[in-house]
Amino acid sequence: MNIDSRAAVRTPEQPALRSGALQLKEVRKRFLFDQRELTVLTGLNLDVRPGEFLSIVGPSGCGKSTLLRLIASLDDDYEGHIALDGRRVAGTSLERGLVFQDHRLFPWMTLEQNVAFALIRRDMSAAARDRLVREHIALVGLSGFEQAYPHQLSGGMSQRAAIARALVNEPKVLLLDEPFGALDALTRVHLQTELQRIWMSQGSTMIMITHDVDEALYLGDRVAVMQAHPGRIAHIVDVDLPHPRDRAAPLLHRLKDDILAELTATDAPRGEAVVPLTRRRPG
Amino acid sequence: MSAARIEEATLRRIVMVASPLAVLLAWQVLSAARVFPPEVLVSPQAVLAAFGQLTASGELARHLGESLQRLLWGFSIGSGAGLLFGLAAALSPTFARLFDPLFQALRQVPVLAFIPLLILLFGIDEVFKIVIIAKAAFFPTALSTLDGVRGVPRAWFEVARIYRTPLPSLVWRVLIPATVPSVLSGVRLSLTRAWLVLVAAELIVADSGIGQMMEMGRQMFRLDVVMVGVVVCGVIGFALDRGFVLLQARLLRWRAQPAGAEA
Repeated sequence: MNIDSRAAVRTPEQPALRSGALQLKEVRKRFLFDQRELTVLTGLNLDVRPGEFLSIVGPSGCGKSTLLRLIASLDDDYEGHIALDGRRVAGTSLERGLVFQDHRLFPWMTLEQNVAFALIRRDMSAAARDRLVREHIALVGLSGFEQAYPHQLSGGMSQRAAIARALVNEPKVLLLDEPFGALDALTRVHLQTELQRIWMSQGSTMIMITHDVDEALYLGDRVAVMQAHPGRIAHIVDVDLPHPRDRAAPLLHRLKDDILAELTATDAPRGEAVVPLTRRRPG
Repeated sequence: MSAARIEEATLRRIVMVASPLAVLLAWQVLSAARVFPPEVLVSPQAVLAAFGQLTASGELARHLGESLQRLLWGFSIGSGAGLLFGLAAALSPTFARLFDPLFQALRQVPVLAFIPLLILLFGIDEVFKIVIIAKAAFFPTALSTLDGVRGVPRAWFEVARIYRTPLPSLVWRVLIPATVPSVLSGVRLSLTRAWLVLVAAELIVADSGIGQMMEMGRQMFRLDVVMVGVVVCGVIGFALDRGFVLLQARLLRWRAQPAGAEA
């Protein structure tokens, strides 16, 4: 239903993609740590709809980042089933893009070269490549900075560049691992708005991990709330509001209270976790 | 605004030459005051005159040419081998385990301590000097290459995996650029060491070269010639290092701090 409400807002020339459905079935991840087995994720079931924006929130150590690494196939060692459009994922793929918390641009490449690096496996003419790179730099609002080196870009600009690099392959699914976690509050709000605009214009399915409940609700069609020890999805909250959204929407605030209450009630003594969850600014 | 900047640049230049000028002044004062016999502490003028003679006769150019040629060979072989060794040790744990004790022990032996042995092995010909320079140049480059390759963040390899980067591109576009800064600082150290050891080796045994010129000067009690050698050594060493720093800055344009900033 959320998908439909968004599709209505999308510009008519933007075809609603019907691929990018991600399915996780009984996913379990264990680490061997100090000779002891540590279950990081267990019984994880998730159906991500094509074109959906799914936010995942949860306390530190609930395995959120591990989950993204499994979906991206940076880590192939897990039990259960992860499939994209019905095909089991195996090895990293250009269909599944990933934006890290630290931008991870190569400092010896210009912005343009960094974005073009993502196309290294793509068989296309130089002209087509240049066009794609230019388009995606424009998409994230960095036109004019093509020749800049990462050290010349601010934190927010670097993260935009990282998003451009991840999107230039037009992945079916874009995974975002706390992409704005290291940014200051103002830049973060600004980039959230930008990301919403980009998502609305793109059609990629997006899955974003965050510590920030406001951010999760503002962007997500749905918000998966995770619990730790062992990591699992406690439940999924529908955010039944069309995009683009108004941060002041009463529904967002009500849902935020619910999610915070849930996260704090089961994970830590009341009064302790409420503050970290809303104020935690990693990095 | 622009006038202020010019003034600042001029000021910086004045500060830069202040300390050599102070030494020159002290030298002049001491020699004029005859604190030491003039044959021992020759005056700057006498050194300048000797420099003129040596230049005019072509002697200085010949010695310098010989020295620089040895430097080129020894330094290239030594730091080239250091680069290969560092790479092998960083990429192969077996190789590292095999050679680490030997490497660490040899590293602690001063180059000059090998001179007697090397003379017996190679005589006092070119080979001996080149080997000793190569030995001096080998270690800094090997160490910095090893650290550089080992220090490449895993994060970058993950980015390369996400985009399914083929191995050759991984090496050329990620691994090498990521290690270049630390390799270059090792190579810079190698160059300095090579130059120092070269002059020292020539002082001990050689039939040509800037060090040999100084040694001959000493034997014939021509301290003016010795001082010409001292100054030339300093200037050449300084020029080599500056040149390298400029090259470094050019290769590492992408860094926030140009490599020459600290030099």
